[in-house]
Amino acid sequence: MAKMDKKWVILCSTAVAAVYSAGFISTEAQATKVDSHYQAQVSNQAIGDSSSTVTSNNNQAKGNNSSIISSNSNQAKIDKSSIVLPKSNQTKRLYKDGTFTGMGGNRRGSIEVAVTIKNDKITDVEISNFDMHYSERDVVGLPNEVIQNQSSQVRNVSGATYSTEAFQDAVQEAISQAQNA
Amino acid sequence: MRKTKLFMDTVVDIQVVIRETESIEEAESKMDRAFEAFRKVEQACSRFSPESELMNACRIAEDSVWISPFLYEPLKFALEIAKLTDGEFDPTIGKTMEEQGYNRHYLTGKFNENLAADSVTYRDIILDEQSHTLNLNKPLVVDLGAVAKGFAIDLAANELKDFKGFIVNAGGDLFAGGVDPNGLPWKIGIQHPEKKDQLIEEIEIINEAICTSGSYERRNAKVPGMHHIINPKTKHSPNDWVSSSVVAPFAMMADAFSTAAFLLGSEKGKELIENAGLKGIFITSELQIVRVGGI
Repeated sequence: MAKMDKKWVILCSTAVAAVYSAGFISTEAQATKVDSHYQAQVSNQAIGDSSSTVTSNNNQAKGNNSSIISSNSNQAKIDKSSIVLPKSNQTKRLYKDGTFTGMGGNRRGSIEVAVTIKNDKITDVEISNFDMHYSERDVVGLPNEVIQNQSSQVRNVSGATYSTEAFQDAVQEAISQAQNA
Repeated sequence: MRKTKLFMDTVVDIQVVIRETESIEEAESKMDRAFEAFRKVEQACSRFSPESELMNACRIAEDSVWISPFLYEPLKFALEIAKLTDGEFDPTIGKTMEEQGYNRHYLTGKFNENLAADSVTYRDIILDEQSHTLNLNKPLVVDLGAVAKGFAIDLAANELKDFKGFIVNAGGDLFAGGVDPNGLPWKIGIQHPEKKDQLIEEIEIINEAICTSGSYERRNAKVPGMHHIINPKTKHSPNDWVSSSVVAPFAMMADAFSTAAFLLGSEKGKELIENAGLKGIFITSELQIVRVGGI
């Protein structure tokens, strides 16, 4: 094996260091950490349940939103039905702040997301449940290569980007629940 | 412990191996910081969001704009790879990507369209190290798709480096630190380009990144044979490889080199990885596996 060209290693390590030396990563997250032993025990029991979400009574996976998919092929047209979070200069907020869950899915399985909204902006999308084949073909009896979000035994794969259409449906559903009447 | 979130149109999965003496709270707060790195890089580098630092800077042609390290560093790296490959890899590909329909925000569904001059290259982007500013010679759209995710992975990995073991996996581009829960090197499968439920190869890595660029994902809905890896000179998708995986000490490196090797094709791509002293696994359209760098 050829000797590694150090130039690229140096570029990468200085890139990471640059973010820190400029103080761009704050320590805010650490300030919120809880220190008591009692708390540690409580959340010990709660491992495996990372979703601390506002639960909603949606119990059905939403089907594919055809308007979104079809708009993919027509880039000039802006899809009016898609989520347009308004700018902050609007006085009345269109969405409630908070964390909302939504489901999405296709023939391969279902996805549940927890969407956090603050000031009419999506600030976080956590996948609270992921139960999908990552086989493109929907054939019964294929090896059950299912990713279970909370299992540490899942194999890691390089080169597998999941389709985000199901995520999009789930996110849309969560957002519709955040909508102010 | 494991958490999965959505950033950059990608499922970002973070796993950490916790020692018995370590507290769950501390682990959670470190994981939150790792996810925060993705948020920061996305806010800085997203081509799909008009409010990103990148798109704000792209609207100011022929004037200097100060940019944060979240944008400056990956852009600088992309420009170095562009120089190395004589523009076969070029971050000014953004407008071409928009024209091919790769311009839709994965959360809002909104399309982002921007002005750009007809002929642009990476030489039209000027970075000033002293003032940390960006200057564009003409209007153009920068695409950092091949470096930003890698950079976010590297920042996240830096937040998690004290764990006995961890994985930051962003849609199959990943950094594996330390050892797995059984104290062994992390085993990473490489996706089979045609059979989605199978792996074509498996490798073991410790404190290294692996990134895979494949033509089998994100295919162009409008033009057959086209996918999201586009040669800026020909405006076509190269098809020598169907999958190009690179192992490197940093994810930004693995990310950029796997894309560049994909763009350069069989001979020049192999040479690129050999000369950089990296390791690569390439898959040809006949599903032959080509190994480079003693992997």
